[in-house]
Amino acid sequence: MEKTFTEKIQICKKNKIAGLYPTTKFQVVILFSISTIVLNSIKLTDFKLALLLIPWFLLVPFMFAITGEFKKCMKAMKAISFIAIFIMVVQTFIVSGGKTLWVWHFIAIREKGLQTGLSLCFLILNIAGIFVWLFQSTSTKEITRCLEDTKMSFKVAYIFASTLEMIKVFSSKSKIILDAQRARGVETEGNLFIRAKAFIPTLVPLILGGIIGSEERVLTLEARGFSMKGNKTHLFNLKKSGYERIILTISIIITILILAGRIYLWIMN
Amino acid sequence: MIKDENKKFSIKDDFSMLALLIIPVGVAVNFVGGQLASLLKLPMYLDTIGTIFTAMLAGPWLGAVTGLLTNIVTGIANPVNFAFIPVSVVAGLVTGAFARANFFNVWWKWVIAMVAMGVASILTAAPIVVLMFGGVTGSGASLITATVMAAGANIWTAFIGTEGLFNILDRIVSFLICMSVIKVIPARNLIKFSCGKFYIKNKKEEK
Amino acid sequence: MDYELECKDVTYTYPLAQKPAIKELNLKIEKGKLYGVIGENGSGKTTLCSILRGFAPSFYKGDLTGEILVQGKALASYKDQISRKIGYVFQNPFTQISGIKNTVFEEVAYGLENFGIDVEEIEKKVINIMQLTDIMELAEKSPFELSGGQMQRVALASVIVLEPEILIIDEPTSQLDPQSTESVFKIIKKLKEEKKTIILVEHKVDLLAEYSDEMIVLHDSKIIKQGESREVLSDLSLREYGIRLPEVTLLSEKLREAGLDIDQLPITKNQILDLIEKKRKGE
Repeated sequence: MEKTFTEKIQICKKNKIAGLYPTTKFQVVILFSISTIVLNSIKLTDFKLALLLIPWFLLVPFMFAITGEFKKCMKAMKAISFIAIFIMVVQTFIVSGGKTLWVWHFIAIREKGLQTGLSLCFLILNIAGIFVWLFQSTSTKEITRCLEDTKMSFKVAYIFASTLEMIKVFSSKSKIILDAQRARGVETEGNLFIRAKAFIPTLVPLILGGIIGSEERVLTLEARGFSMKGNKTHLFNLKKSGYERIILTISIIITILILAGRIYLWIMN
Repeated sequence: MIKDENKKFSIKDDFSMLALLIIPVGVAVNFVGGQLASLLKLPMYLDTIGTIFTAMLAGPWLGAVTGLLTNIVTGIANPVNFAFIPVSVVAGLVTGAFARANFFNVWWKWVIAMVAMGVASILTAAPIVVLMFGGVTGSGASLITATVMAAGANIWTAFIGTEGLFNILDRIVSFLICMSVIKVIPARNLIKFSCGKFYIKNKKEEK
Repeated sequence: MDYELECKDVTYTYPLAQKPAIKELNLKIEKGKLYGVIGENGSGKTTLCSILRGFAPSFYKGDLTGEILVQGKALASYKDQISRKIGYVFQNPFTQISGIKNTVFEEVAYGLENFGIDVEEIEKKVINIMQLTDIMELAEKSPFELSGGQMQRVALASVIVLEPEILIIDEPTSQLDPQSTESVFKIIKKLKEEKKTIILVEHKVDLLAEYSDEMIVLHDSKIIKQGESREVLSDLSLREYGIRLPEVTLLSEKLREAGLDIDQLPITKNQILDLIEKKRKGE
């Protein structure tokens, strides 16, 4: 039998981890971030480096892989890795203080620089990485629907969803306007002044159109019962994958173990 | 025929349906502004125009929400942006507070407001960049900051010194763009926003 | 008897405006009829629509005096339930989408979701309306990628699906090509057959002559003529107010000038054919 339209718009994921309920994923992200910060406070070796963050970071690509979104996630990690490595390099070679570990001509690595460099780099990689996992494995449609389900106002969910669509519309419109300007002979390359002159006629019509369009949008929404009181129904509904409880339990256990380890080390010293 | 002139502002008034619907517009303007600035290789971010715009029209709370949502949405692609949520929120709050105080009616007040907006932005950004990112974020200005740091400057002075200038310049340009847009919005559209009436008066005085 | 819609001495002024956009409006709308609204640009047509739906003054603010009754009760007393009674289709096809739905199917269903209708019920109703408005093949397309004509049909569908008793349609075809215009009017015709009360603002007076039961003529914020369509549209004096009359009317005027004895000028093709037939038989 052919699927109904309502069935067609549902999201069905084969991968049980990718199909976790968004709230569960978010809880995992929070627990992972807390663990990361706790691990960062454990300094190892004579130079007091937060070395545990490095093996801990292996969990991030592992999560990408078991979710079945490895490639997509790694692509999103590119920009983050660039920032993290840039920070590590700057810190390691520039920040002075502590013992000098290594010198070559005018470049030197000092203890303090290495400490902050390593720590900041892997804090960013870990925390940003787990957020990448959350957002690359969860569609914005799911996030919006989840916002509707939480106690927040349906207006919050609407604004979020509408923002994402508006960005798409504005981006494509700005490209059309820019192309039209080029066709009319407005230069978009050359010296700074020339390029700056192309900026305003591209952006201003978008802002004006947006303001005037939002008036009609208000009336359209009102005409469709947007602010009508009472319960709303939803054609699209979120499903649980069934693995929510076990994943959350594992996450909580790992977090507790890490916390316990941290406390044990405090008592020992 | 402007009624309720002396009415106290309340947060609920700020969040009318129309005001809510300009939040997505503001975020999209931020996004496209930043995109265009890098596409045209301009030496500025220009990614706060939408926040400033909504704050100027609809006050600090709307401005703050626009800033917040901008960083949440861009954070979906690059979570590093989550760290800068306070900077965007403060940009909206400060601009909106000036708008509410009808500060945009005389040119010398503009200057004070623009500098204050730039200073507020750098003061919120500095602790985040220095403490969470060690002074550099990988942007163009970061290279300068890093060089100044290498020359032996303190990390705080290095960051505030280089990025501060960029920030104030960015706010000035963004503000002027918003002001010029507001000047061409018809009065009947402006009147529907909580701070819109201030700009209508300006128009009358000019005539 | 209660009228579907009734205006008693309504005057409305937009904020910041020097003079009213609608003056001393008195109007009685009867159930099941199609009312055509014509007038020059700026004569108050869209304002009239906004007043009848309550958008003015609730959204546009400004000052309104007089009384508006919907089925005998004050418009304001309906509060948020008014969207169940009165449907509204706007002029610009592109701004009247929810802005958050990825398929036409979901777009059309959006109002029903807000009304809290059961999911199975929604599916049935939406399919029904999509067939009526001939947008079945668009069901899985994105609303952001439609042409103006398609968009306007989706907009109509999104409103009709809510089953309002009264429909206000403001220049639905002003931005559309002739083919899309025709398809929009086909839908309006079907709605008329379903005995909906329709208020239709439209520039294309030939089409109004064809479809409307009654006409309302606005000039300079006032109603200058209203009544049965044939009576209104055969009134040649309306031309002094810059109002275009149907081609059939103008043609029959020429015939009358040529010496043919015509009592009341026809306004539609069928009426003129009728007339010619009668003359041939020598009545």
